[in-house]
Amino acid sequence: MSAVASPLDGVRVLELTDESAEYCGRMLAGLGADVVKVEPPEGAPSRRLGPFLDDEPGPDRSLAFWADNVGKRSVVVPDGPAGDAAVVALAEGADVLVHTLRPAEAGTRGLDFASLEARAPRLVVCVLTPFGQSGPWADYLADDLVLMALGGSMAACGYGPGTDGTYDTPPLAAHGDQAWRTASTYAVIGVLAALWWRDEGSAEQPPSGKGQLIDVSAHECSASMTEWHCMTYLCSGSVFRRAPQPTLTAADGRRVAALNPDFLGAHVFTNLLAMLEAQGVAGPLSDPEFADPAHRASHYGEVWRAMKRLAEKNDGETLYRLGQSAGLPWGVIRAPEETAEDAHLRARGHFVELDHPELGRHVTYPGAPFLAHASPWRMDRRPPLLGEHTDEVRGEWGVEW
Amino acid sequence: MPLAGVRILDFTRLGFGAQATLICGCLGADVVRVESTTRPDPVRVMPPFVPDPGDKAEGFGAATLANATSAPSPNRGGIFYKYNTGGKRSITVDARHPEGLALLRELVAASDVVTESFAAGTLERWGLGYEAQRAVRPDIVYVSMCGFGHEGPDTKHVTMGPTAQALTGLTFMVGLPGRPPAGWSFSYLDHVGGYLGAVAVLAGLLHRARTGQGQHIDVSQLEPATALSGALFLDAVVNGRSSRRPDFPAGNRRPASAPGNAYPAAGDDKWVVVSCRSDAQWRALVKAMGEPPWTGEARFATFSARQEHAEELDALIGQWTSTRDRYAVMDLLQEAGVPSGAVQDAADRLERDPQLKARGHFTTLGNDEVAPMPLEGLPARLGRTPAHTGGRLRRGPPLLGQDTDSILRELLGMSSGDVARLRAEGALS
Repeated sequence: MSAVASPLDGVRVLELTDESAEYCGRMLAGLGADVVKVEPPEGAPSRRLGPFLDDEPGPDRSLAFWADNVGKRSVVVPDGPAGDAAVVALAEGADVLVHTLRPAEAGTRGLDFASLEARAPRLVVCVLTPFGQSGPWADYLADDLVLMALGGSMAACGYGPGTDGTYDTPPLAAHGDQAWRTASTYAVIGVLAALWWRDEGSAEQPPSGKGQLIDVSAHECSASMTEWHCMTYLCSGSVFRRAPQPTLTAADGRRVAALNPDFLGAHVFTNLLAMLEAQGVAGPLSDPEFADPAHRASHYGEVWRAMKRLAEKNDGETLYRLGQSAGLPWGVIRAPEETAEDAHLRARGHFVELDHPELGRHVTYPGAPFLAHASPWRMDRRPPLLGEHTDEVRGEWGVEW
Repeated sequence: MPLAGVRILDFTRLGFGAQATLICGCLGADVVRVESTTRPDPVRVMPPFVPDPGDKAEGFGAATLANATSAPSPNRGGIFYKYNTGGKRSITVDARHPEGLALLRELVAASDVVTESFAAGTLERWGLGYEAQRAVRPDIVYVSMCGFGHEGPDTKHVTMGPTAQALTGLTFMVGLPGRPPAGWSFSYLDHVGGYLGAVAVLAGLLHRARTGQGQHIDVSQLEPATALSGALFLDAVVNGRSSRRPDFPAGNRRPASAPGNAYPAAGDDKWVVVSCRSDAQWRALVKAMGEPPWTGEARFATFSARQEHAEELDALIGQWTSTRDRYAVMDLLQEAGVPSGAVQDAADRLERDPQLKARGHFTTLGNDEVAPMPLEGLPARLGRTPAHTGGRLRRGPPLLGQDTDSILRELLGMSSGDVARLRAEGALS
């Protein structure tokens, strides 16, 4: 047994994807794999996506590229048959190929699963496409917005109706390509499971030594992320529509998601009341009648007004902590970058500074998605410059082009 | 199934943790859910409730129990059925009973992985923390999933999905310019946290296979979310451009798409998304709309002009879509090579979406108390080792304590008499 530190140490991953699946490779790199990104001479499409460093476009300046390609290496192959042959040769030397090609293009380039399997029976091939390899929509086109619409997230996200019950704003999808990210995460899970089946197995099922095709449909992944929505329809016949979320506005204008989950038990209200009394804003809630959940439910306005009185006296971060001090799952609504200031995440060593020597600067990235001290998340390589590792990989993988 | 022969002793509850072991179960792991009859998983007893089997002739959707305020049984909470497919088995054990605790330690010794989603410190208080697990199974892979994790100053903080979404920027990323964040209407981070819980299980197993070492992997509900904002985080830390600015979040508008939005379709609050990411797709859209004169105007001539005049462009496209069926628009545009999709709700996904149907997205499963219903599992297809929503046992989510006897007999070699004695002593409640 060697003293390897990462779960995927020594695992070679070849990535031939557009921006839809780059998050998958980022995670595989974090788990210790050697992720080699194959790019055409002009660079992967995501290198042309903004925002850019100092708002100046350039293949090595896309922050969208940086975010999802940190930890990888980059090789450039030429367009055309010579490049396709190089990719096939690289795939033969890899453990995993992740790509986003439609079946027709994969076939033309010699990267259909049947061809690859004949050459490299141990290769795990993970294909992430909008709708998967089969079905009536298999050739349809999608970006993240289309997938968030079809998957169901959008239908229930947005602003509530006006007083007349009609909506004057559309359903909304979250920014940040959440359908692609969910699909990429499922792709990681599929790859890890396939590697386990190939290399490890169990007493009941010895290692197979074989690769396989993993077919990830981003539509299906997007469709499975809406928590209780399908069950609610199955149970009640009603569907979720867009509704306001319980939010308090603090004295400094910051907003706090202020859940008051009565369904978790009587202790929730008891804790809330004690905190509101200590802050001198409980008002009628101290009336013993409010100990009765039915009374609370029919007088919920009083509970909400007491919480609003609390909010008016405190800034957002304080309000968040007051709720938490009472055991309530409150959270201040932060902009994404404001997480970098969170003392708890910092204490967990979450944010990682990587050196970009060609720019003479260090850049802070969000780091490990969990703490695994015996096999720490690997995050020691800034995103690759275009073609930065072409010669290096040629030598190491023994493939010439 | 890829994880055949892997056993997970599963103390997770609610959504976040249970999502992780659902995935593992669908991949073939033997997931043994440890439960309590006196403190059942809240989602077992929370509305919406699965209808009476007698109602099944009317089909789901005709239920009368949805507004009930108390659960008819611990097997009828609807959300339980979302998160507990994968062939999970259920054993009830009282961890506070000395014999119950001894049983749990024996079960740890018979498992590869322990998963849980209690508040930090709960398992230690029971005498089942990582050190106690290691004492009986030195290479155990222990994956804890709780809101703020087990390390750091705020480990006592509690989260539900919307809490973690607020704190990590996800809530902020849904909204229209100049208005407060709209946020999510569901716990997206219960799913994402659970996915990373499954990644942690698999990573822990792979690491154990290579080194012989187990470990405690500490999954919180916050860290899996911080990279979900993509370039927004870097734009702020590198360029100093805060996400708190008048033009963000830009509703459904995206920098790489023009036009791109949800447009009104025929019907009550029906919508269809159209998103053109190139000039070619814009030209295809123009043609599919029948080339109305306004599409030739200079203000829409280039990608950047279309972005600059997005408000006017969206209104004009909306006029075209508003009299048309959302699926008809989608099919017409897709045939023309334009990315488009109906805004689907849960009913649409269950009853209408031909792609989900063709892909076998839902699997019909029930148990002895509820009629078979379409349930979800792992939406990734592994060609040689297909996942199954019913897990290795090919069955629906377990009744509370359904497998207590068989688990004790099979895994710990107990006799029926042993089990009866433990039950009489209260260790199995």
